[in-house]
Amino acid sequence: MSWTLLDKCCEKCTHSLDNPCPDYIECRVNGPLCHSDKKCKELRKKRLEEIQYGAVGAKIKIPLSSCTLASGAENIYEAVKDYVEKNGLKISISISGCFGLDFLDPWIEFTSKGMPTAIYANVKPKDIPRLIKEYFEEHDVSSAYVLKNKTGKAKGEDKVPLLDELDVWKKQYRWVSRNCGIVNPESLEEYIATGGYRGLSRSLKMSPEQVIDEILKSGLRGRGGAGFPTGIKWRITREQKVTPKYVVANADEGDPGAFMNRLLAESDPFRIIEGLTIAGYAIGANQGYIFVRAEKPLMASRLQKAVEEARKYGLLGKNILGSGFDFDIEVILSAGAFVCGEETALLAAIEGRRAWPRQRPPYPAQKGLWGKPTAINNVETLAHVATIMAEGAEAFASVGTEKTKGTKMFCVTGSVKRPGVYEVPVGTSIRYLVEELAGGAVEGSAIKAVQIGGPSGGCIPASKLDLPLDYETLQSAGAIMGSGGIVVINDKNCMVDVAKFFLTFTSAESCGKCFPCRVGLKILWDILDKITRGQGTEEDLVVLRHVANTVKYASLCALGGTAPNPVLSTLRYFMDEYEAHIKDKTCPAKVCKALITYTINEDKCIACGQCAANCPVNAISKQESGKYSIDVDKCIRCGTCYVVCPVGAVEKHSRGRRRSGGEMKW
Amino acid sequence: MVNVKLDGVEVEVEPGTTVLEAAKKAGIEIPHLCTLKDLYNGASCRLCLVKTTRGKLVPACAYQVYRDEEFTVNSLELKRIRKVNFELLLSFHKIECWKCERKGDCLLASLSQELGVEGIPVCSQCPLPPEECLLTKGILCLGMITSSGCDAECITSGGQCWGCRGPITRRDVLERAFKRYEELGFNIDDVLFRAEIFWNSVPAFEKLKKVAAEVRGGKK
Repeated sequence: MSWTLLDKCCEKCTHSLDNPCPDYIECRVNGPLCHSDKKCKELRKKRLEEIQYGAVGAKIKIPLSSCTLASGAENIYEAVKDYVEKNGLKISISISGCFGLDFLDPWIEFTSKGMPTAIYANVKPKDIPRLIKEYFEEHDVSSAYVLKNKTGKAKGEDKVPLLDELDVWKKQYRWVSRNCGIVNPESLEEYIATGGYRGLSRSLKMSPEQVIDEILKSGLRGRGGAGFPTGIKWRITREQKVTPKYVVANADEGDPGAFMNRLLAESDPFRIIEGLTIAGYAIGANQGYIFVRAEKPLMASRLQKAVEEARKYGLLGKNILGSGFDFDIEVILSAGAFVCGEETALLAAIEGRRAWPRQRPPYPAQKGLWGKPTAINNVETLAHVATIMAEGAEAFASVGTEKTKGTKMFCVTGSVKRPGVYEVPVGTSIRYLVEELAGGAVEGSAIKAVQIGGPSGGCIPASKLDLPLDYETLQSAGAIMGSGGIVVINDKNCMVDVAKFFLTFTSAESCGKCFPCRVGLKILWDILDKITRGQGTEEDLVVLRHVANTVKYASLCALGGTAPNPVLSTLRYFMDEYEAHIKDKTCPAKVCKALITYTINEDKCIACGQCAANCPVNAISKQESGKYSIDVDKCIRCGTCYVVCPVGAVEKHSRGRRRSGGEMKW
Repeated sequence: MVNVKLDGVEVEVEPGTTVLEAAKKAGIEIPHLCTLKDLYNGASCRLCLVKTTRGKLVPACAYQVYRDEEFTVNSLELKRIRKVNFELLLSFHKIECWKCERKGDCLLASLSQELGVEGIPVCSQCPLPPEECLLTKGILCLGMITSSGCDAECITSGGQCWGCRGPITRRDVLERAFKRYEELGFNIDDVLFRAEIFWNSVPAFEKLKKVAAEVRGGKK
């Protein structure tokens, strides 16, 4: 293997694992620092160029992370490898993480010396030979989606926009996700080449108290949901007299529709490890744990690989960078329940017990893992820590609101044109995120509400989209920041059904320790189910509110404390829909099966017979007129005919069928 | 020693004492179910919730006091939360007090009295052991379908229950009770005739009659 940035440049370098140099990190890119040698400087310059363009001057980068793998990036990787090997091309192949722009997936990046770096979106394996030929042989970039830079030497450059000019890129404030999709997540060298580990190097030259002061000055608050100031948490943990102490990174991200932690850990795992090491140094811990959700295997293996790599180069282990500070990290797979994200349950899971939360106080900062003081931070918080220590607190605090500084990653999913992860300053309006970055609602629909904070967040109506995204405002609007998942709900969704959907998740994930959550959520679900079946009474609404409030205030942990939020917020903003279900027995959005009917419009029907052929219960038959009609008694309202009809003759009605006696039939 | 103020009553305790213990010392009762000294301290039942001055609800059984603190133990809000909470717990309990070993000594029954939750029959307070139940001797007693709370005075003094405290409203309990009446050879019409004496104008009686009719119909 050729020389890498992590190796010694010449014999004069005194760095070794037994006797580490405090300036090791700075020396890698800007060096050599301890001696001046033109040759050593050239060596570094050449290697940096190699990282950018590959050892042979041409490079293909394929993103391998869960989201791109799901859209077929592995096939593309194979196709590229096959083609390059078969034709004996001089192109190096490397992997990268994900931009967070999921509408591009799977994408592929071509770089070559003298040519602009081109990104091709929504690539299929069969396109690969054509694209490689176009780019590397014909120097034509006209079919690229976006370019990273322009050189004026390639054909069709003018037609393709620059990445920095794209709305989705320039309107973001990429602070902690700066490396996502850009560096190779499995290479420590690339991380250091892009400025990584400078934060740790700087921290180790300061005293732990100074590090805590720096974090306090930056005003960083926990990005896991509750928004507790990180510096205060560390100070409390540091002030405890009991030793040993522990630090834990909470990477147990379980919200449906939230994947920013996964993106970060899969695309830039070293940043998290660096942040955790700084946290360990600040509070005086020698052992750290990363608690990863077992359902995200790639995230776990990337973190594991990163830990091993850092250990290999002395960035974990004994006497890190000659500071006398020992620290090691263990990656632990979670027990696989949503409640594991709750910090006390997480600690129980690490200890090998059943993942049950316990009553706080005592807080983990006083009595945590094995009864010792423990600081638990979300991985996004830790990535922020690494960046703050590298760039300084002022740069971080320059954006954000009065109470919450900095940026936050948000996942926008659901009914939007450009779903993905976007990083914006805290306090940005929901409208900016949903309409400017994510492109607004998909064609033919309008935004009705946004669900913020995952299944235990609240539904905020479209009329309140101008609310700023910060902890306090969201709380008073009935939602929570949570981990930052935003699910956009369009006008084809019934809000009662949405509330029921989220409760299905939380009631199944309730651990069962305290019964307001265990029984209360079940009863809430039962009532919502009753309402969607059209059997609700006005009494039910009173019971719904009473039980939801009791569950919210009386539950033991945050899972129960926030789980009724979908019910309470929909009751607050969408009371008219509940009333329509209960009083008129209609479902305005035409979703609840018991409250809708399907009919065939004879004027539109072209008698093709597709509906009758596809009906699973044979409820559709031919009439004397030659047209088709639905027997409402047999119909199970599966909606198949509505989907298959080529001319849209099948119509949905927001009212259940009445029997002759006036009684509803379900 | 730290000072704990519970609803204005001050009491001095060792640091690290739970609010529940402090309340016991002050002579204030906080309803609780799940906590067992030295055995379980998981704060699961959430009946002993008290309010701190910062407006947070904490369980008295697990919250330890380390400094001078003030708590609200009884307020309308706390009572409502405890009541709904207890109703939630009771909703999953199979109430068959007439068969139960613990009658007369039942925490659920005494708590339901304390919190004002209806739905537990008089049998829960009956002084007679199951094998001496009046119903097994052929004496018609309305205990199974009557709300408790009278300490089963009539039965204690040798009589049978006439249902003066009103009917039970929970459907599944009524269903089981009527089935039991039939098992023991009583005619449901006789039961309803007796019940009409006190409950003639009670709205819940209509519902009860419906359940009775269903139980009878289901048999045919």
